[in-house]
Amino acid sequence: MRLMLCFLLLIISSPAASTDASLDHAETTVLALENAWNQAVRLRESGALQQLLVDRLIYIEYDGRVMSKGQYLAQVRAPLLHPEHIVSESMRAHSFGNSVIVTGVYQEKGTKNHIPYVLRERFIDTWILQNGMWVCVSSQSTPIVH
Amino acid sequence: MNSSGDFFVWKRVVVPLAVCLFSLWATPQDRTGRDAESRLLAVENVWNQAEAKGDTKALSMIFDDDLIYVDENGQLLTKSEFLAKAKSQSAYPQLLTTQAMSAQVYGDTAVVTGTYRIEQTKGKKRAQREGRFTDTWVRTHGTWVCVAAQSTPILR
Repeated sequence: MRLMLCFLLLIISSPAASTDASLDHAETTVLALENAWNQAVRLRESGALQQLLVDRLIYIEYDGRVMSKGQYLAQVRAPLLHPEHIVSESMRAHSFGNSVIVTGVYQEKGTKNHIPYVLRERFIDTWILQNGMWVCVSSQSTPIVH
Repeated sequence: MNSSGDFFVWKRVVVPLAVCLFSLWATPQDRTGRDAESRLLAVENVWNQAEAKGDTKALSMIFDDDLIYVDENGQLLTKSEFLAKAKSQSAYPQLLTTQAMSAQVYGDTAVVTGTYRIEQTKGKKRAQREGRFTDTWVRTHGTWVCVAAQSTPILR
């Protein structure tokens, strides 16, 4: 399963899939990568995420903490974190030149240190085309207040 | 308009707009990234001043028409909605400061991140809040415009 996920990520973000000039294709590719990202988090497969994130990634958590790529990947594989249900709703991709901005509502349920948690937050992810591959350069979440 | 009025317009409108225009206009040296970083950080400061004053004309120049803005309540706003919000918020005295700003440039895309603090007085109430932001900038036709911005409150 994990090997398949890595292979899938490689195919989706590969030059062959992403050199299509159409904006629609870029947006579809990036949305597919967002879904693959969720799958990787659910499976705690941080290795699959390596190629999706730039080394200088800026990751801002729902509580305002800032994380580097290394810190984020360490969190994904943390032994006491068990995300059971992850879904992104209302996802939309917007092309701006060689970058794609994705917005959506991220929902995650699971247990952390054996304590149940539920997250519902709005996110913006910024993707760029680097060496023919789509990679995420920043990701930020904000809890939705009603 | 009297001379003090002229000075007011000069200080509050002309200077920030000039800085804004100068900063947004990308030069060929921007390709190195360093120049772009300092320009973007300068525009971020102009943005703060404009937002605190409710100067929607200056703000409008900074943002792409298709701006995507997520405020600190997690609400998704368009450019016009954000400008209307900034205008209404400026009715109350506020001090907006940013810290620890850094910019990362990837060709024609740049990401600026940092923390902000807003101190605001509404009537007799004085409120203070802190958060972290990420702004995404894209260079189109030689000009940097902000295409996405998001704020997240820092939980202590």
